Amino acid sequence: MVRDGARPGEHKYLAVRAYLADLVTSGLAVGDAIPSERSLTEQFGVSRMTVRQAIDALVTEGVLERAQGRGTFVAPPRADFEMRLTTFGEEARRRGLTPGAEVLDAATVPAPPHVAEALDRATGDPVHHVVRLRTADGTPMSIEDSWIPADLVPGLLDDGVPESLYAALRAHDLEPTWGEETITAADGTPDELQRLEMRGTQAVMRTVHRTFGGDAALLYSRTCYRGDRYSVFVPLREARPTLVPGTRPAGTDAGRPVQPGRIPEGSPR
Amino acid sequence: MSTPDPDAQLAASILTGLGGVENIEEIDPCTTRLRSLVKDPALVDAALLKRAGAYGVMINGRVVQVVVGPRVDTIASDLAELM
Repeated sequence: MVRDGARPGEHKYLAVRAYLADLVTSGLAVGDAIPSERSLTEQFGVSRMTVRQAIDALVTEGVLERAQGRGTFVAPPRADFEMRLTTFGEEARRRGLTPGAEVLDAATVPAPPHVAEALDRATGDPVHHVVRLRTADGTPMSIEDSWIPADLVPGLLDDGVPESLYAALRAHDLEPTWGEETITAADGTPDELQRLEMRGTQAVMRTVHRTFGGDAALLYSRTCYRGDRYSVFVPLREARPTLVPGTRPAGTDAGRPVQPGRIPEGSPR
Repeated sequence: MSTPDPDAQLAASILTGLGGVENIEEIDPCTTRLRSLVKDPALVDAALLKRAGAYGVMINGRVVQVVVGPRVDTIASDLAELM
């Protein structure tokens, strides 16, 4: 806990913080009040400022939340959404959360270059563009910009924005089968922080996503997830062997199974 | 010899698009992409790769990523045979 070179007082702040973090995981339930600042001050023999610093850090991380005039409480756990080919609504429901969506914008527009590129269309081709604030149990979780080629589902927005874009695609025999997503950490813009009702940290995760159905690009989306309420769960699997030219084993022409060339893990790339 | 299947054809086109076996240092098959390290990025033909069926091509220095989707396993096996 105490590192060499720690600033004076820093180890005390870290001790209080570790104590509170441990209380949250082992002793307290969601919504429980944490011990008062005064009792922590006495227990650790530190200043009130040090206690506040520790609490502030945990509020910023989303572990604790302050209620004006009432004290500081254990925050609900983060939503740990798995990176897989599902939608926000499906992932939320599987965690016992009620998904919601507030449509911020919906229109059929000419595809900007980056959208056209992602959806394998020409720039200017019509695409449905939907911007939604996604909520779980009423709490804002993310702001989602989605684009779907208009030729795939021409009347997508005719009766308002469908509750589930995937369901709308499936209804047109466009079954999502695979996709890709890139996650980048960033600071939210003032507008994003306000819409997501973020008060502590400004940290967000931005994702860029493409959904395919077989060969066809079905959906492109850019989403901003709040960093204090959301975790990403990524299942891992063994890496495939790297292919290196000229390492093909002899005798493969005779129809024997092919063993791709292997290089040791951690080789310079 | 068996008739070439679409995956094998794509594998052959990918090698051509990457500038041929001689231009390749290694190819790392990911879940939906082939990440390759090439000797000379100028020999990479992104348009050819996309025409051949790649869903995207990202070139960053000598690293060329070719998005091929979940067929990556069979394509990697086909590539291994050609390399």
